[in-house]
Amino acid sequence: MSKLKLTIAVTGLNNTDNPGPGVPVIRSLKASPEFDLRIIGLVYETLEPGIYMEGLCDKIFQIPYPSTGSDELIDRVEEIHRREPIDVLIPNFDAELFSFMKNEDRLLRSGIHTFLPTLKQFQERDKDKLPEYGEKYGIKVPASLNLGSQNQISEIKEKFEYPVMVKGKFYDAYMAYNQEQVKQAFNKISSKWGLPVIIQEFVKGTEVNVIALGDGQGNTIAAVPMRKQYITDKGKAWGGITLSDDKMLEITRSLIRKTMWKGGMELELIKTVKGEYYLIEINPRIPAWVYLAVGAGQNIPEALVKLALGQEVAPMETYAFGKMFVRYSYDIIVDLEKFETIAMNGEI
Amino acid sequence: MKITDEVRISDNGFVFNSKTGDSFNVNPTGLELTKLIAQGHDFDTIKSLFLEKYELDDLTFEKDFYEFCALIKYHQITTTEDPLDFK
Repeated sequence: MSKLKLTIAVTGLNNTDNPGPGVPVIRSLKASPEFDLRIIGLVYETLEPGIYMEGLCDKIFQIPYPSTGSDELIDRVEEIHRREPIDVLIPNFDAELFSFMKNEDRLLRSGIHTFLPTLKQFQERDKDKLPEYGEKYGIKVPASLNLGSQNQISEIKEKFEYPVMVKGKFYDAYMAYNQEQVKQAFNKISSKWGLPVIIQEFVKGTEVNVIALGDGQGNTIAAVPMRKQYITDKGKAWGGITLSDDKMLEITRSLIRKTMWKGGMELELIKTVKGEYYLIEINPRIPAWVYLAVGAGQNIPEALVKLALGQEVAPMETYAFGKMFVRYSYDIIVDLEKFETIAMNGEI
Repeated sequence: MKITDEVRISDNGFVFNSKTGDSFNVNPTGLELTKLIAQGHDFDTIKSLFLEKYELDDLTFEKDFYEFCALIKYHQITTTEDPLDFK
Protein backbone atom coordinates (compact mmCIF):
# COMPACT_ATOMS: atom_id res chain seq x y z
CA MET A 1 0.00 0.00 0.00
CA SER A 2 1.41 3.37 -0.97
CA LYS A 3 1.63 5.93 1.76
CA LEU A 4 -0.37 9.13 1.65
CA LYS A 5 1.97 12.10 1.18
CA LEU A 6 0.96 14.92 3.48
CA THR A 7 2.29 18.17 4.85
CA ILE A 8 0.95 18.79 8.32
CA ALA A 9 1.41 21.97 10.34
CA VAL A 10 1.36 21.66 14.12
CA THR A 11 1.50 24.23 16.94
CA GLY A 12 2.31 23.69 20.61
CA LEU A 13 5.95 22.61 20.43
CA ASN A 14 6.55 23.92 23.95
CA ASN A 15 7.49 20.66 25.61
CA THR A 16 8.10 22.26 28.99
CA ASP A 17 6.85 21.26 32.46
CA ASN A 18 3.48 22.54 31.22
CA PRO A 19 3.72 20.86 27.85
CA GLY A 20 1.84 21.73 24.73
CA PRO A 21 0.56 18.72 22.77
CA GLY A 22 2.52 19.51 19.59
CA VAL A 23 5.47 17.17 20.07
CA PRO A 24 3.38 14.11 21.05
CA VAL A 25 0.94 14.87 18.22
CA ILE A 26 3.83 14.82 15.72
CA ARG A 27 5.19 11.67 17.31
CA SER A 28 1.76 10.04 16.96
CA LEU A 29 1.47 11.05 13.31
CA LYS A 30 4.91 9.67 12.60
CA ALA A 31 3.84 6.39 14.18
CA SER A 32 1.18 6.01 11.48
CA PRO A 33 2.13 3.48 8.80
CA GLU A 34 -0.25 5.18 6.36
CA PHE A 35 1.38 8.60 6.05
CA ASP A 36 4.49 9.90 4.38
CA LEU A 37 4.84 13.18 6.25
CA ARG A 38 6.40 16.57 5.98
CA ILE A 39 5.96 18.33 9.32
CA ILE A 40 5.80 22.09 9.65
CA GLY A 41 6.26 23.30 13.23
CA LEU A 42 4.53 26.58 14.04
CA VAL A 43 5.96 28.28 17.12
CA TYR A 44 5.30 31.43 19.10
CA GLU A 45 8.52 31.50 21.11
CA THR A 46 12.11 30.95 20.02
CA LEU A 47 12.81 28.60 22.91
CA GLU A 48 10.04 26.11 22.34
CA PRO A 49 11.94 22.81 22.74
CA GLY A 50 10.28 21.21 19.70
CA ILE A 51 12.30 23.57 17.48
CA TYR A 52 15.53 21.95 18.59
CA MET A 53 14.47 18.29 18.65
CA GLU A 54 16.34 16.50 15.85
CA GLY A 55 14.15 14.78 13.29
CA LEU A 56 10.89 16.18 14.64
CA CYS A 57 10.01 18.93 12.16
CA ASP A 58 11.13 19.45 8.57
CA LYS A 59 10.62 23.18 8.80
CA ILE A 60 9.83 25.62 11.60
CA PHE A 61 8.08 28.96 11.28
CA GLN A 62 7.40 31.54 13.94
CA ILE A 63 3.85 32.86 14.05
CA PRO A 64 2.38 35.87 15.89
CA TYR A 65 0.39 35.38 19.10
CA PRO A 66 -3.38 35.37 18.54
CA SER A 67 -3.58 38.34 20.93
CA THR A 68 -2.01 40.49 18.19
CA GLY A 69 -5.14 39.79 16.12
CA SER A 70 -6.64 36.83 14.30
CA ASP A 71 -5.94 38.38 10.90
CA GLU A 72 -2.21 38.69 11.57
CA LEU A 73 -2.09 35.06 12.62
CA ILE A 74 -4.05 33.75 9.65
CA ASP A 75 -2.19 36.01 7.20
CA ARG A 76 1.08 34.55 8.47
CA VAL A 77 -0.22 30.97 8.16
CA GLU A 78 -1.31 31.70 4.59
CA GLU A 79 2.06 33.21 3.82
CA ILE A 80 3.71 30.03 5.11
CA HIS A 81 1.21 27.98 3.09
CA ARG A 82 2.27 29.71 -0.13
CA ARG A 83 5.84 28.55 0.48
CA GLU A 84 5.12 25.18 2.07
CA PRO A 85 1.64 24.01 1.02
CA ILE A 86 -0.09 22.70 4.15
CA ASP A 87 -2.64 19.90 3.82
CA VAL A 88 -3.76 19.78 7.43
CA LEU A 89 -3.27 22.19 10.32
CA ILE A 90 -3.52 20.93 13.91
CA PRO A 91 -3.67 23.79 16.42
CA ASN A 92 -2.93 22.72 19.98
CA PHE A 93 -3.38 25.79 22.20
CA ASP A 94 -6.67 26.76 23.79
CA ALA A 95 -5.86 30.44 23.30
CA GLU A 96 -5.38 30.12 19.52
CA LEU A 97 -8.32 27.83 18.82
CA PHE A 98 -10.84 30.65 18.55
CA SER A 99 -8.85 32.33 15.74
CA PHE A 100 -8.49 29.10 13.78
CA MET A 101 -12.15 28.12 14.23
CA LYS A 102 -13.32 31.55 13.15
CA ASN A 103 -11.19 31.29 10.03
CA GLU A 104 -11.86 27.64 9.26
CA ASP A 105 -13.55 28.43 5.92
CA ARG A 106 -10.90 30.91 4.90
CA LEU A 107 -8.20 28.34 5.62
CA LEU A 108 -10.08 25.67 3.70
CA ARG A 109 -10.44 27.95 0.70
CA SER A 110 -6.66 28.21 0.71
CA GLY A 111 -6.46 24.42 0.83
CA ILE A 112 -5.66 24.06 4.55
CA HIS A 113 -7.84 21.45 6.26
CA THR A 114 -8.60 21.52 9.96
CA PHE A 115 -10.84 19.40 12.17
CA LEU A 116 -11.94 21.65 15.00
CA PRO A 117 -15.02 21.98 17.19
CA THR A 118 -17.59 24.51 16.03
CA LEU A 119 -17.59 27.92 17.71
CA LYS A 120 -20.82 26.96 19.51
CA GLN A 121 -19.28 23.73 20.82
CA PHE A 122 -16.18 25.64 21.86
CA GLN A 123 -17.95 28.47 23.61
CA GLU A 124 -20.66 26.59 25.44
CA ARG A 125 -18.10 24.43 27.27
CA ASP A 126 -16.31 27.50 28.65
CA LYS A 127 -15.46 27.03 32.31
CA ASP A 128 -17.65 29.96 33.32
CA LYS A 129 -20.65 28.27 31.67
CA LEU A 130 -20.12 24.79 33.09
CA PRO A 131 -23.31 24.66 35.26
CA GLU A 132 -25.52 25.41 32.23
CA TYR A 133 -23.52 22.89 30.19
CA GLY A 134 -24.00 20.19 32.82
CA GLU A 135 -27.71 20.80 32.95
CA LYS A 136 -28.14 20.88 29.18
CA TYR A 137 -26.26 17.64 28.55
CA GLY A 138 -27.22 15.77 31.72
CA ILE A 139 -23.83 15.51 33.33
CA LYS A 140 -22.88 16.26 36.93
CA VAL A 141 -20.70 19.34 37.37
CA PRO A 142 -19.48 21.11 40.52
CA ALA A 143 -21.37 24.25 41.56
CA SER A 144 -19.56 27.41 40.49
CA LEU A 145 -19.61 31.18 40.75
CA ASN A 146 -18.09 33.63 38.28
CA LEU A 147 -16.24 36.51 39.87
CA GLY A 148 -16.15 39.71 37.86
CA SER A 149 -14.48 41.66 40.64
CA GLN A 150 -12.80 41.23 44.02
CA ASN A 151 -15.89 42.60 45.75
CA GLN A 152 -17.73 39.39 44.98
CA ILE A 153 -15.28 37.27 46.99
CA SER A 154 -17.40 37.78 50.13
CA GLU A 155 -20.28 35.98 48.34
CA ILE A 156 -18.30 32.74 48.36
CA LYS A 157 -18.92 31.88 52.00
CA GLU A 158 -22.68 32.14 51.46
CA LYS A 159 -22.63 29.63 48.63
CA PHE A 160 -19.72 27.27 49.25
CA GLU A 161 -17.82 25.52 51.98
CA TYR A 162 -14.07 25.98 51.93
CA PRO A 163 -11.85 24.77 50.33
CA VAL A 164 -12.87 25.96 46.87
CA MET A 165 -11.10 25.83 43.52
CA VAL A 166 -10.17 29.18 41.97
CA LYS A 167 -9.78 28.90 38.20
CA GLY A 168 -8.87 31.05 35.24
CA LYS A 169 -11.01 31.17 32.12
CA PHE A 170 -8.31 29.43 30.06
CA TYR A 171 -5.64 28.10 32.42
CA ASP A 172 -4.56 27.95 36.05
CA ALA A 173 -6.29 26.54 39.08
CA TYR A 174 -5.58 26.99 42.76
CA MET A 175 -7.18 25.49 45.83
CA ALA A 176 -8.10 28.11 48.42
CA TYR A 177 -8.94 27.40 52.06
CA ASN A 178 -10.08 30.89 53.01
CA GLN A 179 -11.03 34.30 51.67
CA GLU A 180 -7.45 35.57 51.83
CA GLN A 181 -6.20 32.73 49.64
CA VAL A 182 -9.04 33.36 47.18
CA LYS A 183 -7.91 37.00 46.93
CA GLN A 184 -4.33 35.98 46.21
CA ALA A 185 -5.42 33.48 43.56
CA PHE A 186 -7.89 35.97 42.10
CA ASN A 187 -5.14 38.56 41.61
CA LYS A 188 -2.72 36.05 40.09
CA ILE A 189 -5.29 34.62 37.69
CA SER A 190 -7.04 37.84 36.66
CA SER A 191 -3.75 39.60 35.88
CA LYS A 192 -2.74 36.71 33.62
CA TRP A 193 -5.96 35.46 32.07
CA GLY A 194 -8.46 38.23 32.67
CA LEU A 195 -11.99 37.94 34.01
CA PRO A 196 -14.10 36.21 35.06
CA VAL A 197 -12.27 34.20 37.66
CA ILE A 198 -14.24 31.08 38.42
CA ILE A 199 -14.93 29.73 41.89
CA GLN A 200 -15.72 26.05 41.76
CA GLU A 201 -16.99 23.77 44.51
CA PHE A 202 -14.22 21.41 45.58
CA VAL A 203 -15.31 17.86 44.82
CA LYS A 204 -13.32 15.33 46.78
CA GLY A 205 -12.17 12.37 44.77
CA THR A 206 -9.69 11.15 42.21
CA GLU A 207 -9.07 13.11 39.05
CA VAL A 208 -9.49 10.99 35.95
CA ASN A 209 -9.36 12.04 32.31
CA VAL A 210 -10.58 10.83 28.94
CA ILE A 211 -8.99 11.68 25.62
CA ALA A 212 -11.52 11.41 22.82
CA LEU A 213 -12.25 12.24 19.21
CA GLY A 214 -15.69 13.06 17.85
CA ASP A 215 -16.50 12.99 14.13
CA GLY A 216 -18.98 15.87 14.29
CA GLN A 217 -21.87 13.50 13.49
CA GLY A 218 -22.30 12.28 17.06
CA ASN A 219 -19.95 9.32 16.76
CA THR A 220 -17.06 8.69 19.12
CA ILE A 221 -14.14 7.70 16.93
CA ALA A 222 -11.72 7.18 19.82
CA ALA A 223 -11.81 7.34 23.62
CA VAL A 224 -9.22 6.30 26.18
CA PRO A 225 -9.60 6.91 29.94
CA MET A 226 -6.54 7.66 32.04
CA ARG A 227 -5.59 8.44 35.60
CA LYS A 228 -2.67 10.69 36.42
CA GLN A 229 -0.21 8.81 38.59
CA TYR A 230 2.39 11.50 39.02
CA ILE A 231 1.33 15.14 39.00
CA THR A 232 3.59 18.19 38.75
CA ASP A 233 3.14 21.30 40.88
CA LYS A 234 1.32 22.78 37.87
CA GLY A 235 -1.17 19.93 38.04
CA LYS A 236 0.14 18.33 34.85
CA ALA A 237 0.49 14.60 34.40
CA TRP A 238 4.09 13.42 34.55
CA GLY A 239 2.93 9.82 34.58
CA GLY A 240 -0.39 8.15 33.91
CA ILE A 241 -2.11 4.84 33.29
CA THR A 242 -4.99 3.80 31.05
CA LEU A 243 -8.09 2.54 32.84
CA SER A 244 -10.82 0.09 31.99
CA ASP A 245 -13.75 2.14 33.14
CA ASP A 246 -16.97 1.64 31.22
CA LYS A 247 -18.73 4.47 33.01
CA MET A 248 -16.14 6.99 31.83
CA LEU A 249 -16.52 5.76 28.26
CA GLU A 250 -20.29 5.93 28.55
CA ILE A 251 -20.11 9.55 29.78
CA THR A 252 -17.79 10.44 26.90
CA ARG A 253 -19.88 8.75 24.22
CA SER A 254 -23.06 10.30 25.54
CA LEU A 255 -21.52 13.78 25.58
CA ILE A 256 -20.12 13.44 22.06
CA ARG A 257 -23.46 12.12 20.81
CA LYS A 258 -25.45 14.93 22.41
CA THR A 259 -23.08 17.75 21.48
CA MET A 260 -22.13 16.32 18.06
CA TRP A 261 -18.57 17.11 19.10
CA LYS A 262 -16.13 17.61 16.25
CA GLY A 263 -12.41 17.17 16.87
CA GLY A 264 -10.17 16.13 19.71
CA MET A 265 -11.09 16.69 23.32
CA GLU A 266 -10.08 15.91 26.86
CA LEU A 267 -12.64 15.44 29.60
CA GLU A 268 -11.43 16.15 33.10
CA LEU A 269 -13.53 14.34 35.66
CA ILE A 270 -13.51 13.79 39.40
CA LYS A 271 -14.53 10.33 40.55
CA THR A 272 -15.86 10.43 44.09
CA VAL A 273 -15.60 7.59 46.60
CA LYS A 274 -19.26 6.84 45.88
CA GLY A 275 -18.33 6.23 42.24
CA GLU A 276 -20.00 9.40 40.94
CA TYR A 277 -18.35 11.39 38.16
CA TYR A 278 -18.24 15.17 38.06
CA LEU A 279 -17.13 16.97 34.92
CA ILE A 280 -14.76 19.76 35.90
CA GLU A 281 -13.47 20.80 32.52
CA ILE A 282 -13.46 20.05 28.80
CA ASN A 283 -10.31 20.88 26.89
CA PRO A 284 -11.39 21.37 23.27
CA ARG A 285 -8.25 19.89 21.75
CA ILE A 286 -5.91 16.94 21.92
CA PRO A 287 -4.15 16.84 25.33
CA ALA A 288 -0.37 16.49 25.80
CA TRP A 289 -0.69 12.86 26.95
CA VAL A 290 -2.06 11.79 23.56
CA TYR A 291 0.83 9.42 22.91
CA LEU A 292 -0.42 7.19 25.73
CA ALA A 293 -3.59 6.61 23.69
CA VAL A 294 -1.42 5.69 20.69
CA GLY A 295 0.53 3.27 22.90
CA ALA A 296 -2.77 1.80 24.06
CA GLY A 297 -3.91 1.23 20.48
CA GLN A 298 -5.80 4.36 19.39
CA ASN A 299 -3.90 6.77 17.15
CA ILE A 300 -6.08 9.83 17.60
CA PRO A 301 -3.98 12.33 15.59
CA GLU A 302 -3.90 9.91 12.64
CA ALA A 303 -7.70 9.58 12.77
CA LEU A 304 -8.10 13.34 13.13
CA VAL A 305 -6.03 13.97 9.99
CA LYS A 306 -8.13 11.48 8.02
CA LEU A 307 -11.34 13.13 9.21
CA ALA A 308 -9.94 16.55 8.32
CA LEU A 309 -9.35 15.24 4.78
CA GLY A 310 -12.92 13.99 4.59
CA GLN A 311 -12.05 10.32 4.84
CA GLU A 312 -14.28 7.84 6.66
CA VAL A 313 -12.85 6.59 9.92
CA ALA A 314 -14.32 3.62 11.75
CA PRO A 315 -14.71 4.02 15.53
CA MET A 316 -11.88 2.48 17.53
CA GLU A 317 -13.56 0.33 20.15
CA THR A 318 -10.68 -1.28 21.98
CA TYR A 319 -7.50 -0.21 23.73
CA ALA A 320 -5.07 -1.76 26.16
CA PHE A 321 -5.69 -0.84 29.78
CA GLY A 322 -2.88 -0.75 32.30
CA LYS A 323 -0.60 1.00 29.76
CA MET A 324 1.49 3.67 31.39
CA PHE A 325 3.44 6.70 30.34
CA VAL A 326 6.23 8.32 32.27
CA ARG A 327 7.50 11.67 31.09
CA TYR A 328 11.11 12.73 31.38
CA SER A 329 13.20 15.83 30.89
CA TYR A 330 16.20 15.87 28.59
CA ASP A 331 18.77 18.53 27.82
CA ILE A 332 19.37 19.25 24.15
CA ILE A 333 22.62 20.99 23.32
CA VAL A 334 21.96 23.73 20.79
CA ASP A 335 24.39 25.70 18.68
CA LEU A 336 23.90 29.42 18.90
CA GLU A 337 23.50 29.65 15.10
CA LYS A 338 20.30 27.66 15.24
CA PHE A 339 18.82 29.91 17.91
CA GLU A 340 20.05 32.95 16.00
CA THR A 341 18.38 31.77 12.79
CA ILE A 342 14.96 31.29 14.34
CA ALA A 343 15.27 34.50 16.40
CA MET A 344 16.31 36.65 13.45
CA ASN A 345 14.54 35.04 10.47
CA GLY A 346 11.45 33.64 12.18
CA GLU A 347 12.03 30.32 10.47
CA ILE A 348 14.51 27.51 10.29
CA MET B 1 -17.13 -11.26 48.65
CA LYS B 2 -15.72 -11.28 45.15
CA ILE B 3 -12.55 -9.97 43.55
CA THR B 4 -13.67 -7.42 40.98
CA ASP B 5 -13.27 -8.33 37.33
CA GLU B 6 -10.85 -5.48 36.69
CA VAL B 7 -8.29 -6.75 39.19
CA ARG B 8 -5.24 -8.64 37.98
CA ILE B 9 -3.14 -10.60 40.45
CA SER B 10 0.41 -11.56 39.54
CA ASP B 11 2.24 -14.49 41.08
CA ASN B 12 4.83 -12.15 42.56
CA GLY B 13 2.21 -10.36 44.67
CA PHE B 14 1.60 -7.36 42.38
CA VAL B 15 -2.10 -6.53 42.39
CA PHE B 16 -3.42 -4.10 39.77
CA ASN B 17 -6.88 -2.63 39.58
CA SER B 18 -7.42 -1.49 36.00
CA LYS B 19 -10.59 0.41 36.87
CA THR B 20 -8.93 2.74 39.37
CA GLY B 21 -5.34 2.52 38.14
CA ASP B 22 -4.18 1.58 41.65
CA SER B 23 -1.54 -1.04 42.23
CA PHE B 24 -0.43 -2.77 45.41
CA ASN B 25 2.17 -5.20 46.62
CA VAL B 26 0.94 -7.98 48.86
CA ASN B 27 3.19 -10.29 50.85
CA PRO B 28 3.09 -14.08 50.25
CA THR B 29 0.37 -14.60 52.87
CA GLY B 30 -1.69 -11.76 51.40
CA LEU B 31 -1.21 -13.23 47.95
CA GLU B 32 -2.35 -16.64 49.12
CA LEU B 33 -5.45 -15.13 50.72
CA THR B 34 -6.24 -12.99 47.67
CA LYS B 35 -5.93 -15.98 45.36
CA LEU B 36 -8.18 -18.13 47.56
CA ILE B 37 -10.79 -15.37 47.59
CA ALA B 38 -10.43 -15.00 43.82
CA GLN B 39 -11.00 -18.74 43.41
CA GLY B 40 -14.32 -18.27 45.16
CA HIS B 41 -13.55 -20.10 48.42
CA ASP B 42 -15.69 -19.10 51.38
CA PHE B 43 -14.46 -17.99 54.79
CA ASP B 44 -14.76 -21.44 56.41
CA THR B 45 -12.77 -23.15 53.65
CA ILE B 46 -10.02 -20.53 53.73
CA LYS B 47 -9.90 -20.76 57.52
CA SER B 48 -9.52 -24.51 57.57
CA LEU B 49 -6.84 -24.36 54.85
CA PHE B 50 -4.87 -21.81 56.85
CA LEU B 51 -5.28 -23.57 60.19
CA GLU B 52 -4.09 -26.77 58.61
CA LYS B 53 -1.08 -25.18 56.96
CA TYR B 54 0.09 -22.70 59.61
CA GLU B 55 0.49 -22.68 63.38
CA LEU B 56 -2.42 -20.42 64.00
CA ASP B 57 -5.43 -20.19 66.28
CA ASP B 58 -8.99 -19.48 65.22
CA LEU B 59 -9.21 -16.05 66.72
CA THR B 60 -5.98 -14.70 65.27
CA PHE B 61 -6.94 -15.96 61.83
CA GLU B 62 -10.38 -14.36 62.01
CA LYS B 63 -9.01 -11.03 63.24
CA ASP B 64 -6.31 -10.90 60.55
CA PHE B 65 -8.63 -12.15 57.83
CA TYR B 66 -11.28 -9.50 58.52
CA GLU B 67 -8.65 -6.80 58.71
CA PHE B 68 -7.23 -7.90 55.36
CA CYS B 69 -10.69 -8.08 53.80
CA ALA B 70 -11.55 -4.58 55.04
CA LEU B 71 -8.32 -3.30 53.54
CA ILE B 72 -8.81 -4.83 50.09
CA LYS B 73 -12.44 -3.78 50.08
CA TYR B 74 -11.39 -0.21 50.87
CA HIS B 75 -9.08 -0.30 47.87
CA GLN B 76 -11.90 -1.62 45.66
CA ILE B 77 -10.16 -4.95 45.07
CA THR B 78 -13.29 -6.74 46.22
CA THR B 79 -16.99 -6.09 46.16
CA THR B 80 -19.62 -7.37 48.55
CA GLU B 81 -23.33 -7.06 48.14
CA ASP B 82 -23.79 -6.90 51.92
CA PRO B 83 -21.31 -4.41 53.46
CA LEU B 84 -21.08 -6.51 56.63
CA ASP B 85 -20.44 -9.72 54.75
CA PHE B 86 -16.81 -10.74 54.61
CA LYS B 87 -17.58 -14.34 53.84
